[in-house]
Amino acid sequence: MTPPATLMVLLPLVLALLAAPAAMLAGVYRPRLAAPVGTAFAALAFSATALAWWKGGGAVNVAWAPTWDLRFHVALDGLAALYALLATGVGFLVLVYSSRYLPLHLGHGDRPESEGTRFYGHMLLFMGAMVGLAMAQDLVLLFLFWDLTAIASYYLIAFDRHDAEARAAALMALLVTGVTAVLLLIGALILYSAYGTFSVPELAELVEPGPLLNAAGLLIAVAALAKSAQVPLHFWLPRAMAAPTPVSAYLHSAAMVAAGVLLLGRVYPLLQESRILLDTLLVVGLLSMAVGGVLALTQDVLKQLLAYSTISQYGYVVFLYGLGGEYGAVGAAFYVIAHALAKCALFLTAGAVTEETGEDRLSELGGLRKPLPLLAAASGAASAGLAALPLTIGFFKDELLFGAALARGPLFAGAAVLGAALTLAYAWRFWAGIFLGERRDGASNPPAALVWPVVALGGLVLLGGLWVEPFARLAEAAGEVIYDAPASIEPAYHLDLRPENLMALATFVLGALLIFSRPVWVGAARGVAWVGGKVGPERLYESSIEGLNRFSDRIHRAEVRDLRSRVAAILLPAGVLVGLGILVTPTDGVYRAGEVGWHDVPLLLALVAVTLATLASTLTRRHVTLALVFSSAGYVLAALYAFLGAPDVALVAVLIETLVTLLFIATLKLIPYKVLHRQAELPLRLTRRKVYISVVAGAFAFAVAWGTLSQPAAESSTAEELIALAPEAHAKDVVTVILADFRGLDTLGEITVVALVLLGVVTLLRGGRLR
Amino acid sequence: MSAPINNTTSILTQTVAKLLLLPTFVAAFAILVKGYAQPGDGFSAGVVASLGVLLQYLVLGRREAERLVTVRNAPTIAGAGLLLSLSVAVVPLFLGDPVLTHYPRPGEDVVYLGTLELITPVLFDLGIFFLVFGFAVGAIGAFARTISEQEEYAGPGTEQLEDDT
Repeated sequence: MTPPATLMVLLPLVLALLAAPAAMLAGVYRPRLAAPVGTAFAALAFSATALAWWKGGGAVNVAWAPTWDLRFHVALDGLAALYALLATGVGFLVLVYSSRYLPLHLGHGDRPESEGTRFYGHMLLFMGAMVGLAMAQDLVLLFLFWDLTAIASYYLIAFDRHDAEARAAALMALLVTGVTAVLLLIGALILYSAYGTFSVPELAELVEPGPLLNAAGLLIAVAALAKSAQVPLHFWLPRAMAAPTPVSAYLHSAAMVAAGVLLLGRVYPLLQESRILLDTLLVVGLLSMAVGGVLALTQDVLKQLLAYSTISQYGYVVFLYGLGGEYGAVGAAFYVIAHALAKCALFLTAGAVTEETGEDRLSELGGLRKPLPLLAAASGAASAGLAALPLTIGFFKDELLFGAALARGPLFAGAAVLGAALTLAYAWRFWAGIFLGERRDGASNPPAALVWPVVALGGLVLLGGLWVEPFARLAEAAGEVIYDAPASIEPAYHLDLRPENLMALATFVLGALLIFSRPVWVGAARGVAWVGGKVGPERLYESSIEGLNRFSDRIHRAEVRDLRSRVAAILLPAGVLVGLGILVTPTDGVYRAGEVGWHDVPLLLALVAVTLATLASTLTRRHVTLALVFSSAGYVLAALYAFLGAPDVALVAVLIETLVTLLFIATLKLIPYKVLHRQAELPLRLTRRKVYISVVAGAFAFAVAWGTLSQPAAESSTAEELIALAPEAHAKDVVTVILADFRGLDTLGEITVVALVLLGVVTLLRGGRLR
Repeated sequence: MSAPINNTTSILTQTVAKLLLLPTFVAAFAILVKGYAQPGDGFSAGVVASLGVLLQYLVLGRREAERLVTVRNAPTIAGAGLLLSLSVAVVPLFLGDPVLTHYPRPGEDVVYLGTLELITPVLFDLGIFFLVFGFAVGAIGAFARTISEQEEYAGPGTEQLEDDT
């Protein structure tokens, strides 16, 4: 591939990933600059994606960790183009909206403007991760971007961090999507172990149907379904509505939730080899359509209604994947476009309406068509698009859905019609609840930035209804990647009685019936919602989190409450076990005492000093004295090392002893003086238990040490080998070279622990604050 | 332990402690760069350097010690050190070598700067140095701050009273 073409493919990704740091930097300089800079980058990334796609796309495939077979393999194929255009295009509109919404939002909580910088940073990080996820062809690369979206969503959902509800919702989203993300990695590793590659296109050619594919495919599918908030892992999505509205709009239309169906589309060439996997998708999709649709009809809070609607809408997409075939694949891609445009517009409408009136419940809203005519028209177009009325892009999404379901059988066609009727009913409920009826509240003249993005999205929904060609071509290109074969669809209006049209008519009739018979069924629907709340999977999640917390508390209490018994519980069994080991090992010639000459006198004196210090520790009562006695024993040991020709160890021992003593004394200073004083006044009691434990533990430790030291160092070949290797590693000091080179990985693990300990010490002492 | 230490230390002690800070850093630096030829490594160097700072804590008190830039940013220094060592470990992956491959490879020529060899293990060691230094200073600093907050809370002199009774 020529360099300009490579650049062309990489440019959208680079721009999207640069957006977050650029906006953050601009925000640090001037908080007001974060929004325009971020928006500009989103626009640039969108243009770059569109241009590269128009020029024919392409791929970049380089090894980034060759020893582990990891490749940086990204491609701008149809699927990537679709999701990248959505992420950057919808992202652009949402950012324009945020530039006005966020100051209002921060104003409500009296928060400084600079907090907005964080918002834009995470929002754009999300966008970058989505573009990367869309383009990634390597499963491990996919996993990386996948987790990046989870992290960004965590911060965005918990943006109102003073609100405990928002923090709990963010944690729930992170846990549900993050824990299942590990399944994606496991699935990838299973495939790699069988076929030796992480590359999705290569795997698509290699895989064969069988239990291995079923297992790996199921793991990946669970990760994708959790991200797309499909039943039974759907409960995090309505909770995530604690996020500011632009975040919800983006999450639902083009980012987080869309990522799940994107992953399904990416690995679809593998999934479609297995009938069981497709049937699983079919069942999950149908369940989600039903649960989401019914619950959406019971919700009163605007954003909750939309959240359940999202669950049901992505249920359609999953259902389409499950149906499979050309229509299923292209239909799923087209459905995502149509849904993203409509749903984003509806969320932004909800945000604008709540911002204007201060109400977020349908029961408190109504009659806003007069004060907000433009918003009413634009969101009307979006609702019509969601409800699949003719002259909107939505009509074609249902046309494709019906086509795919018909090809499978009448039962599935019936389910599709029912699902579409539910959609029509809740779309109407949302729009009519806000804009029709009698006027409840005064709302006037909303800021342009809160209205125009909705108008743009509504306009696109209508444009798609009149001129479906560009959208259909994009969906077709994506469908070809998903289906892994040429695919073509011709969505169009046909004025005849073909089955698709009849099904659409049936949907409209059923939907109208649902709307007008609301008093009849609303009680039953609320009952379903109530039962779901009582025994649903959310309960399971909450009880398992509570259980984990209780378990951890119990362990903590057991460890801390009686430290002395804990120590005894380790020392005594260790001593006994070692003793048993000594009893069954032949001890011939193991215990020897070497010859002692005059030159050993300093050594002996040092040993005597250590012994004395150790004995003194049993008789000391004051804590500071105790710390000093211990450290003196340590210093003498350090001197011993120096005598034995280990200056490195001696140096480290002296330094450690100093540091530990200082830490000891600092800790003692933390304990109230009275407590320490009282403890020190207690008489020293030599209880039998203490003596037995000490003697047993000490005696066996002594026996082992003696036995080990008596052995001639014949088998120390490892040490000699390392010493011999040291010059080759450019070193004269073997200890250092072992630490930094030969055993470098161990050192790496150890210093990571040290860093974690520091984090723990500081947070514990500072009561949860790092500064 | 009971009386605030900085009140009882003489001017001479304080001056010596201040004067010792820079030489301690120099010694630590020497231990670090000579690590590959003589005893000593990043760990020892980190502890030596941190002991220099801890001396300031003991002799001059918390407020004076926290004027040092290194003290205020100790946790950051520790994080930077960890990042540096991790980078040295991971970068070879991108070059097609196993994790923690050091350059120049065995047998290749090394550029010397005095006793200092310009090899990647020294960078790794530097990371350990920063981490250990950041750890020791950060932990003791956190203790010191908590202790002085407790004393402010309890009011000065209360401990002294209890000691006398």
